[in-house]
Amino acid sequence: MDRYQFEDLISDFIENKLSMIQRKDFETYLDENPEAMQQLDSVKQVIASMKSMPEVSTSTDFMKNLNKRIAAEKETQSVVKTTRSFAGYTPLMASLSAVVVVAVVLLGLEFIPEATNQATFTPTMAEQQVDDLPVLPTQPNDELLAENEDDSTHVDEDMPNTTDFKDRIQLVGDRRP
Amino acid sequence: MMNHSLPDSSSMPSLSMPEEFRYTDEELIARFQDGDEQAYVELVNRYRNRLMSFIFRFVNDMEKAEDIVQDTLMKLYTHRHFYRNIAKFSTWIYTIAGNLAKTELRRKKRHKVTHLSHMGTEEREYQLPSVEPETGETAQGHFAEKQIQKAIQELPLHFRTVVILRDIQELSYEEISKIVDVPLGTVKSRINRARLQLQQALKEYR
Repeated sequence: MDRYQFEDLISDFIENKLSMIQRKDFETYLDENPEAMQQLDSVKQVIASMKSMPEVSTSTDFMKNLNKRIAAEKETQSVVKTTRSFAGYTPLMASLSAVVVVAVVLLGLEFIPEATNQATFTPTMAEQQVDDLPVLPTQPNDELLAENEDDSTHVDEDMPNTTDFKDRIQLVGDRRP
Repeated sequence: MMNHSLPDSSSMPSLSMPEEFRYTDEELIARFQDGDEQAYVELVNRYRNRLMSFIFRFVNDMEKAEDIVQDTLMKLYTHRHFYRNIAKFSTWIYTIAGNLAKTELRRKKRHKVTHLSHMGTEEREYQLPSVEPETGETAQGHFAEKQIQKAIQELPLHFRTVVILRDIQELSYEEISKIVDVPLGTVKSRINRARLQLQQALKEYR
């Protein structure tokens, strides 16, 4: 054990937290180094002196002052509770805000129809080209419908029946001629 | 007009009562969270002097210490619902007090630096600590309170906090570890280093 290891273990030695082996090493070091023993005693004195330091008390006005602060805090809280009513706004502020919002919306509605009328009176080039295209008939064309009436299940009767495999397949052990 | 003052704690099982009849700190804060202000008064009575000792040893100024203790107990009042019953109440309250004390020391330090920077090099005057060593008392084996107080002030903040909590407040290593939010091993090492530094400083005063 060297001096640094000794110093690292002083508190653990004093508080009896060393293992048996560590304690033996520590005590051997103490026996061999009288100045280490002095240092240990000195640290013990420091700890004892700190433990015996008197408790410092608060002043006699402490509770009175704390009471005042708490009363002020309660006062503030009650004022905040009575004034705060809607999303953090006071009733007056909430009313004023609502009036302003309604006014803005109404003014906006006054301007919006004029702007949309102007847009309908000036068709763009693309819109004009679309207007020149021929108008498709809105009534269904019977001829076109008849052509399209094609049944996908229709079977042509002239075609041989390709699904009859009876004479084409001969299985193993089949003794047919 | 509403009465905003705190109630008298006389109906609460007090410190003078046997341990088994007293509410634990955690029971008291739970009651306070449910609106029982007598429980708050009881907590204040239990902790004000303990916190005062801790903070005074830390900042070395009675007036400042009392202000910080008041701030801590006001925080307890206003932030009561922030406490969760996963940690000891004492851990929580000491953490608040320690943080407020550190803030105060940093503010004080900044103020001091600003003050010095306004002075010319010739007019700068470094104030020596007013605490004088009392050689007569050291002969008895124990160091004088003022000497220790002075030596504590010379410790770095992270050493000062842990050694006060351990050797003056007598808290467990585990609780100190939670208060300062550093691993247990680091706390043990810091306490040991702090004690060695104090021992060195006090040796010089002899």
